[in-house]
Amino acid sequence: MNKKLSFGLSFALMTALLSACGGGNDGGSASQTPSASGSNSPATESASAPAAEPSEPVTISFMHFKSDVTDGIAKIIEQFEAENPNITVDVQPVKYDDYGTLLKTKLASGDIVDVFTLNAGSTTKLYHDGGYLEDLTDLEFMKNFDPGVLAEQATDGRNYIMPLNAGPIAVFYNKKIFADLGLDIPTTYDALMESAQKIKDAGKTPFALGWKDGWTLGMWLSRDFPSNTVLIDGQTDFFDKLETGQAKFADNPAAHTVISHALDLFKFGNKDQLGVDYNGAVDLFAREEAAMMYMGTWPLADIQKKNPELYESGMGYFPYPFSNDPSLNKLEFNPDASLAVNSNSENKEAAFKFLAFMASKAGGDAWVENTNTLSYVKGASADIAPAVTELQPYFDNGHLYNSQVFITTTIDWNTQFTQYVQKVFFNKATPEDIIKDLDDWVAKNHK
Amino acid sequence: MKNLGRTIRRETWYILFLVPGVLLFAFAVIAPFVAGVRYSFTNWDGVSRKLSYIGLDNYVNAFQDADLWTVLGNTFKYAIILTILVNVVAILLALLLDSYLPMRNLFRTVFFLPGVISVVLAGFIWSYNYSQGFPKLLSSFGLDVTSPLGNPDQALIGLIIIAVWQGVGTPMIIYIAGLQNIPVELTESARIDGAGPFRVFRSVTLPLLGPSVTINMLLVLTGSLKVFDLVYVTTNGGPGFATEVISTFIYKNAFSSFKAGYGMALSMIFFVILVVVTVVQVSIFRKREVEV
Repeated sequence: MNKKLSFGLSFALMTALLSACGGGNDGGSASQTPSASGSNSPATESASAPAAEPSEPVTISFMHFKSDVTDGIAKIIEQFEAENPNITVDVQPVKYDDYGTLLKTKLASGDIVDVFTLNAGSTTKLYHDGGYLEDLTDLEFMKNFDPGVLAEQATDGRNYIMPLNAGPIAVFYNKKIFADLGLDIPTTYDALMESAQKIKDAGKTPFALGWKDGWTLGMWLSRDFPSNTVLIDGQTDFFDKLETGQAKFADNPAAHTVISHALDLFKFGNKDQLGVDYNGAVDLFAREEAAMMYMGTWPLADIQKKNPELYESGMGYFPYPFSNDPSLNKLEFNPDASLAVNSNSENKEAAFKFLAFMASKAGGDAWVENTNTLSYVKGASADIAPAVTELQPYFDNGHLYNSQVFITTTIDWNTQFTQYVQKVFFNKATPEDIIKDLDDWVAKNHK
Repeated sequence: MKNLGRTIRRETWYILFLVPGVLLFAFAVIAPFVAGVRYSFTNWDGVSRKLSYIGLDNYVNAFQDADLWTVLGNTFKYAIILTILVNVVAILLALLLDSYLPMRNLFRTVFFLPGVISVVLAGFIWSYNYSQGFPKLLSSFGLDVTSPLGNPDQALIGLIIIAVWQGVGTPMIIYIAGLQNIPVELTESARIDGAGPFRVFRSVTLPLLGPSVTINMLLVLTGSLKVFDLVYVTTNGGPGFATEVISTFIYKNAFSSFKAGYGMALSMIFFVILVVVTVVQVSIFRKREVEV
């Protein structure tokens, strides 16, 4: 007994040692991080499984980045599996920040993920260029989507991804604070800042900012900037030119606009703007310490848990006014996840069945009910939260826009801009400095 | 000749024992390294199946990249301050816990414990401490503090504090072992010769601790130059570029910005820097060691 135990122990130690050796070899520590989590993927099982016979039981792997609604998606999958007893879906939720890295590593190492989520636009184009995406254009279930949406998510005129869900990104506000101070919903940028000033004067925090997480600032910046670039300054081909190195941020007035907007938000934000993360910001709003929060619909479930009263009747939602022209300040409505089928999948048939289910009305309704975001499926319900119903007039009148279609470049200017702009907050650089840095950076990265 | 042949045949079975290790090293270290060198001469984006060779462009870009110099500066600042702090604190703790202190085994465990938690967890605990715990605690004393991690002037110090808290355990154990190896006669005779405790430490203990100092300096310095996890989970390089270190910079380039080729070139540069630092450091400290 004792011998066995010590053998087991030494074996365990041995493995620990070996893995430690592998981990610490050289400067390539970065390249190893993802492989650790990607090595024992169940996807390989399905890859080696016999080719899809509809009647044979098959397992398809499904990797998605909606890890915040993991449970909701699990319920949708249950529903699908109940309808298709032969198909088992192996779900792998991944945090959005790590998703791209993990997916890339898996695909590049020959691991086949049958179905995965992608963002429309430049990411999809990259994976399409890599030859990983199955053409879905002519499949029957694609007819369940609005042609306009399909056109928007097409790559070179073909659809390699199926639109799945979408959501508004706007400003949550606390109705009580607004009523107490006699504030109206601002429809221009200046009015928004005036309200913020009044809220601050009253001793409350105007904006809950969770800018410790880069994406929260980046999400705002990647919407304010293209909106101002294209709609206010009329530079419709700015991002096309950026790709080829013909445009400069220095020649784009919107660059200055967005930096001054960022400074405004920073000024009217909670204290420790870059020390509080997304969850902390949601907390501030849910505890009614902050009056406004620029965000998608994701925190709704969280707010419902933390402050049901606020969720039911105390909060509203209004479009973020990026300019001083109320007619331009429409509701930002963005596609979120879209589904792609791996062109190397051996279970395409089952994968298509899965997509067809997600594209059906039942699938769309299940999506809305379980994930608190809106579905693109025609006729799916749109009732996700009391605060969101306030936006109904914008949906009814079609006062929607999607600033993300303006960003036609594959250059990751946004991460860079997000990081540079933080220097301005702390007077480490002037707006001119960072615009120049940004141009220098882009100059090295255009194709 | 025949004899030699027989010797070789007789001794070859030793090689069998080397084979697993060599194979593992070859496949886990050398092969990826060689592939990495190859990729560093391409413009691979990390996804595409096509890549083209662009010669030394990645390396030329890297040396002209102002961010790379900022990032290297941060990395060395972090590593040097951390190495000094960790070693000073570890020696002090070791001296304290090697003396006849009641419950010293308990204290040894307590100081060693933070090193047992994963860095990721430590990062989360401390970012919570910094952003929620300390401000709330200190606000009851009327102090208004914010998280150092949210301020570019203090973020690096904030990280160093976490790293010291977590990293002091192992060096401390090595120092305690080193202290126990020093013969008592030496310190005793020094004391009889009239040396005070400080003089004993400077002239007897510290020189004899030489090997421990060398190994600890080396381990902490190379470890902290390669820091990735702590930065990634706490600040992710922000605010601005205040805590961007070379590993997170490489990671962002290779993965977030879809420039795997460039990231590889950066890795290679970093690899060379690490080798140079290690060789220089070892040669300096080895010279200063004293044999017992």
